[in-house]
Amino acid sequence: MTVRLARRYGFSASHRLHSSALSDAENRALYGKCNNPHGHGHNYEVELLVRGSVDSVTGRAIDLTALDGLAEEQILAPFRWRNLNEEVDAFRSEVPTTENLAAEVDRRLRTVWDERFGLSGPRLERVSIWETERNICQVSDYV
Amino acid sequence: MIISKKVEFSASHICRSPELSEEENTRVYGAASNPLGHGHNYVVEVAIAGEPDPVTGMILDLKRLKEILEEKVLSVYDHRLLNREVAPFDRIVPTVENIAIDIWNRLERHIDPTERARLYSVRVHETNELFVEYRGEA
Repeated sequence: MTVRLARRYGFSASHRLHSSALSDAENRALYGKCNNPHGHGHNYEVELLVRGSVDSVTGRAIDLTALDGLAEEQILAPFRWRNLNEEVDAFRSEVPTTENLAAEVDRRLRTVWDERFGLSGPRLERVSIWETERNICQVSDYV
Repeated sequence: MIISKKVEFSASHICRSPELSEEENTRVYGAASNPLGHGHNYVVEVAIAGEPDPVTGMILDLKRLKEILEEKVLSVYDHRLLNREVAPFDRIVPTVENIAIDIWNRLERHIDPTERARLYSVRVHETNELFVEYRGEA
């Protein structure tokens, strides 16, 4: 039986939306309050949607202990209580928008996914990030 | 078109497999392997696919759906110890994956005898951090 399982995690971090390719005036116009030079923060939520078949012994579609460990190692520990622009390599060059953050989370997980769960194991189907309750970005393997 | 309805039940369970060692049970299920059990307020979202009836404007009679959910799921699951009181959890571990599949199996053929509407998915939230969705796939 194939099911989809979603697991949610949270972390708090700060960022500043500012593109070095734009002028200060353009940055202010585009990003508004998010361009504040001092930065600001969010309580981010990350949802990982996994598709897998239910193991007949464990009743699990994925080893949740291993998934939690992977999320901690690849996302939560590097991002939690950090200034994303200054402390996460990808955001030294990219603007840490929700879009780029979702893509970075997706990239970090996919880099190690097959090694952890095997090629015939559960698949990561979608990564969703809530920056606020009203600002959500999703990256999926079917779009 | 898809319409979904949400219901809740509260139940206790023990996540342990007799086929795993003590150490493996603890590793796989963590705190949920406590042999004395623990409980959740489960939230079940049932999605029904179909086209609205030209006369009633409804995909399915929602009063009837509520009765089916009450009879086939809530009366069976609510305020129970799943391992002891709900088949098939005397044989399989009552993980949220297996609960979603069991609820699908209990509901599917009762949704609409005329087959205008069909069960599309069953989503079971065990906590705010974990849900499983089953769409009847093998």
